[in-house]
Amino acid sequence: MVEAVGPRVKLGVLEEFLNLARANSLWPMTFGLACCAIEMMATVAARFDLARFGAEVMRPSPRQCDFMIVSGTITKKIAPVVRTLYEQMASPKWVVAYGNCAISGGPFVFEGQYNVIEGVDKVIPVDVYVPGCPPRPEALLEALLKLQEKLTGVRRFPGPERRW
Amino acid sequence: MVAEGLLRDLDAIGCVVEEVPYERKGYWFDVKAQKEKLPELAGAFDQHGYFVEEVVCVDWREELELLYHFNHWDDPRRFSVRTRVKATDPEVPSIWNIYPGAGWHEREIHEFFGVKFKGHPNLSYLFLHPDIDFYPLRKDFVPVTEEDKRVLLGRFPEGDEESFWLNMGPQHPSTHGVLRLLLKMKGEFIEDMEPVLGYMHRMQEKMAEERSYSQYYPNTARMDYVAPLAFSLCYVLALERCCGIEVPERAQFIRLIAMELNRIASHLLWLGTYLLDLGAATPYFFAFDDREQILDILEGLTGSRLTYCYYRIGGVYEDLNEGFLEAVDRFIQRMKRRLKDYDELVTGNAIFLGRTKGIGVIPKEVARRYGVTGPNLRASGVAFDIRVCEPYDGYRFLKPKVALREEGDSFARYLVRLDEIRASLSLLEEAISKVPEGPYRVEKLPKRPPVGDVFFATEGARGEVGVYIVSDGSDKPYRLKWRSPSFSNFVSFTEIGKGMLIADAVATLGSLDLVVPEMDR
Amino acid sequence: MRLWLKRLYRLYFQSDPFKAGLCLLAALTGVSILLGLAWLLGKALWDLGISAWGVDFLRLVLGALWVLLVLFGNALLLVWVERKVAGHMQWRIGPKEVGPFGLLQSIADAVKLMGKELVSPRYVDKPLYLLAPFLIFMPCVVVLLVIPFDPHLQIRDINVGIVLILAFSSLTSIAVFMAGWGSVNKYSLLGGMRSISQQIAYEIPMVLSIVPVVMLSGSLSLKGIVEAQKVPYLLLQPVAFFIYLISAVAEVNRTPFDLPEAESELVAGYHIEYSGMRFAMFFLAEYTNLFIVSALLTTFFLAGYKGPWLPGWAWFFIKTYLVVFVIMWFRWTFPRVRFDQLLNFSWKFLIPLAMLNLVVTGGVLKL
Repeated sequence: MVEAVGPRVKLGVLEEFLNLARANSLWPMTFGLACCAIEMMATVAARFDLARFGAEVMRPSPRQCDFMIVSGTITKKIAPVVRTLYEQMASPKWVVAYGNCAISGGPFVFEGQYNVIEGVDKVIPVDVYVPGCPPRPEALLEALLKLQEKLTGVRRFPGPERRW
Repeated sequence: MVAEGLLRDLDAIGCVVEEVPYERKGYWFDVKAQKEKLPELAGAFDQHGYFVEEVVCVDWREELELLYHFNHWDDPRRFSVRTRVKATDPEVPSIWNIYPGAGWHEREIHEFFGVKFKGHPNLSYLFLHPDIDFYPLRKDFVPVTEEDKRVLLGRFPEGDEESFWLNMGPQHPSTHGVLRLLLKMKGEFIEDMEPVLGYMHRMQEKMAEERSYSQYYPNTARMDYVAPLAFSLCYVLALERCCGIEVPERAQFIRLIAMELNRIASHLLWLGTYLLDLGAATPYFFAFDDREQILDILEGLTGSRLTYCYYRIGGVYEDLNEGFLEAVDRFIQRMKRRLKDYDELVTGNAIFLGRTKGIGVIPKEVARRYGVTGPNLRASGVAFDIRVCEPYDGYRFLKPKVALREEGDSFARYLVRLDEIRASLSLLEEAISKVPEGPYRVEKLPKRPPVGDVFFATEGARGEVGVYIVSDGSDKPYRLKWRSPSFSNFVSFTEIGKGMLIADAVATLGSLDLVVPEMDR
Repeated sequence: MRLWLKRLYRLYFQSDPFKAGLCLLAALTGVSILLGLAWLLGKALWDLGISAWGVDFLRLVLGALWVLLVLFGNALLLVWVERKVAGHMQWRIGPKEVGPFGLLQSIADAVKLMGKELVSPRYVDKPLYLLAPFLIFMPCVVVLLVIPFDPHLQIRDINVGIVLILAFSSLTSIAVFMAGWGSVNKYSLLGGMRSISQQIAYEIPMVLSIVPVVMLSGSLSLKGIVEAQKVPYLLLQPVAFFIYLISAVAEVNRTPFDLPEAESELVAGYHIEYSGMRFAMFFLAEYTNLFIVSALLTTFFLAGYKGPWLPGWAWFFIKTYLVVFVIMWFRWTFPRVRFDQLLNFSWKFLIPLAMLNLVVTGGVLKL
C-alpha cells in the first residue's frame, strides 16, 4: 500500500473554504484503461451527467486536473506510466480506483499470473474504491459524492442511515 | 473454384492435403507441411489470392506445432497448414515478405513461445514487459536465452537531423484505450512508426489453460468490452461445434437478436468517439443516449450493462423477459428516426467531409496481405461477411444485407458502419416477428469435449472474431487462441500510415475502430 | 450552503456570539475610518484647485476599475454560460448543484484554481514560461479601454482606435508561442507553431473586412463608426460580416479552428504544462478575447449601442452576448478542420473574397 504524504502547511479556516470550492469543482482526468472506461464515458454522457456536480471539464493533461479515475487493469507495462502521471498532477490531488481490477486485480488474478499488478494502490495512494465489474455509472457518481464528503465533511445527498 | 487450382499447386509442391469434416473442425482442408516448404506454400496461397487469418502455436512439450489459417474472399473454404518443430531448437522460415500481416503474428509467437523466424526483420518485444524472463505460453518453464534477449530488446528508436520521435502515448484522449505509437515525424508528416502494444495484456490465453471451460466463459466478455456478445458467441459456438450439440431454434433466435443489438451499440459508441476525435463534441452525447436505450433493453434481458454472461453452452441462460420484443420494436422505430438526424448533422457537414474523404485509403491488396476484415474491408469493396459466407447459429435462417462501398477511405468506413446499423435494424425487425416457441437451452450437456481441435469464426462488430481450441479430453482447454480482428486491422495501419499528417493519422486510427484489450488479449 | 456556513462559523468563533460581535464591530470601524480618510483626501484635492485634472484622473481610475469589472465578471459569466449552453445542446443540463442553477460554479472553479499547486517543470525556459500567462492577458485590457459601451461610457476615445485594436490583438499570438516554446514539450511546440500561422493567416482577412466599414463610415475611431451607422452595416456589408465572423473565430482559437489546443490530437496543446492560476489566466484570456471579438463585431456591423427604449449599454451587451452565443453554437456543432485546410481556406478563399468585396465597395462608393 502506498501512503500519501499530508500537507505541510495548514491554513485553518481558509482551508475549509478552499476545500468547499475544490469539492464543487473537481476536474477528473480520464485514465480509462479497459472496460470500466466505457462506464466512465457513459457517466460523462447525457444520461448520468457528471457535469452537474462541476466535474465536467475533463482535461486530458495531468497538470490541470484534480483527481484521477483509474478505471481498468494495471499491468506491469502501464504501472510506471500511472506513477508518472500521478506525480505530474498538481496538488491537491486525489485518486479513485474504479472497478475490481483497479482495487485488487479483478478477475485476472490466477495462479501463475505474470503481468497484472493486483490493485492500483500498490503504485499510487487511493482515496475512494468503487467495486464492481464494471460498476454502474451511478457508482461513479456516488464515488464523487464520497470524495466531496472527504473534502468538506458534509455528505451532499444523504442516504438512509446504515444499520450495520 | 479457387480451391481446386490451389490443391493442384499444393500437390505439385508435395504436401499432404486432407479433407476434414467442416461441421466438427471448422476448416475444410488440413495441410501437413515440412517447415522448409513454408515460403513456397505461402507463395502458392498468395498467387491464388488467399489471406492469412491467423498464425497459432501449440506447445506439445517435445514439439511445437505451428498452424497457419488461410481463407479466401470468394471461396471461403478455410485451409489449415500445420508444421512441427523440435522444442529444443524451434526455427522456422518467416513468411513476412509475402504476408506482412503474418509477420506480426510471428513476432507475437516469438516472444510467447520462443520460436525463431528466419529472415524476419524485427523480432523485438511487442506485447510483453522486458522483466518477464520466460516464455509465458510454454507449458514448462523455459527461460529466455541471452541471445534471444538481445534480439527481443533489439529495436531502438533514434532520431536524426530533420526528424524527431513523437510519442502518441498510452494515455491519449483519443479514447482508443492504451495504445502507444512512436511516430517518427518530419514537421507534421509521419515518416515511420513503431507501435508498442501489451499495455492491456491480461493473459487471457494463459488463463484459459488454468480454468475450466465454464469458469473461463466470463473472460470472453472482457476481451472486447464494446461488443462482448461476439466473443461470447464465438466461444460458445466453438464448444458446441466441438461436442456436436444441437441448439434449439428459440435459443438461436434470441442469440441473434442480442448480438445484433450489441452490434448497433458498438457502432454507436464508435460513432460518438470518432467524432469526438475529430473535434465535434455533440454527436458523442447523442450516440451515447441511443446506446443507453439498447443497454436498458439488454439489461432487462441479461442483467448487466456492459459485460454480459448471458449465453451458455447449448443455449442461453434465461428465457426472454416480458416486454422484451415490444421494447426492441420501439427501439427500432426510434433508431430509424435518429439515423436521419445523424445524417443531417454529420454526413453532409463540409468540415467532416474534408477531414475524412480520401484519408487513410486501404487498397484491396494491402487489406489482403494484412488480413483486414469487417467494416474496414467492406469499405474497400470486398463483400466478405462471415454471417453470409459461413452462416452459423440464427444466421442460417435470416440473411443480413452486406453493406459495401468502393473507395476505402475513412468516409467510406463511416458510411459502411451506418449502413450496417440499418441492416441490423431490418434484420432485427424480421427476427422479432419470427421467434419460435420452444426450449431455450439444451438440457443434457456432455461432461468433457472430445480430444481434438476446433476453429470457429463469427462476424463481430470489428471484423472476424475467431477462436481455436485444442482440447485434450480434460475439463480445461489445452490451448485456446483468439483471432482478434483489431490486431489485423491495426497492423495494416503501419503500412498506410507512412507519409500522413498527424491529424490524418488520428482520423484514420479512429475510423479503424480499434479496441485494445482484444489486441493485447 | 447554509450548513457549510454554519460549520465555518462554529469552527472559527466556537459558538461565541460575543466574539463574533466584536469582530464585526472592529471591521465596521476599520471601514469607516478608511472612508473618512478618503473623503478628507478628496476635500483637500478640491481645495487645492486641481479640480479639472483631478476629475479626469478620477474618471480614468474609475474607468480602469470598470474595465476590470467587465473583464472578470464577463469571464465568470461566460464560463457558466458555456457550460450551460453546451449542456443543453447535448441533451443534458450543465452544472446544477453548485448554487441555484449552478451560478456559483465559476466562483468555485476560480477559487479552486487559486488554491492549486503551481507546478513548474525543471527544464522549462523560465522567463518565457512564466511571462506567457500575463502577456496573453495584457492586450485584452488595453483593447477594452477603447470599446464604446455607451455614448458616455468609453474610457478613451482614440481617433485611430481600430489601429490600436489590431495592433494589440496580434500580441496574443506572441504570448501563445512563448507558452508553446517555453514549456519544453513537443506537443506544446506543435500547438504554438500552429497558433502563430493560424493567427497570421486570419488577421489579413479580418483587416480587409474592416476596411469597407471604415470607408463607409469615414472615420477610424470606434465611436465614429457607431455614430455613422444609420443602418447597421450588417445589411450593407453582409460579405464583410461573414468574413469578419470567421476570422474572429479563428483569431480566438475556438472550434472549428481550435487546432492549437486540439484536445484529441495534441493533449491540450500550448497550455499542457501550466497548472493552477497560470492555467486560469489562459482560460480567462480565451473568454475575454471572445468577448472582445464579439464586442468589435457589434461595434462594426451591428450598430454598437444604438437602439430604441433601452439605454445604450443594455443594447450593447445584448448584441454582444448574442454574438457570443452564436460563436459558442459553432463550437458545439462543427468538427475541427485540418491544419492545411485551415490555411488553404484563408489564403485561397477568404483573402480573395475580402479583396473583391473591398473593390466592389470602393466602386459603389465612387458612384
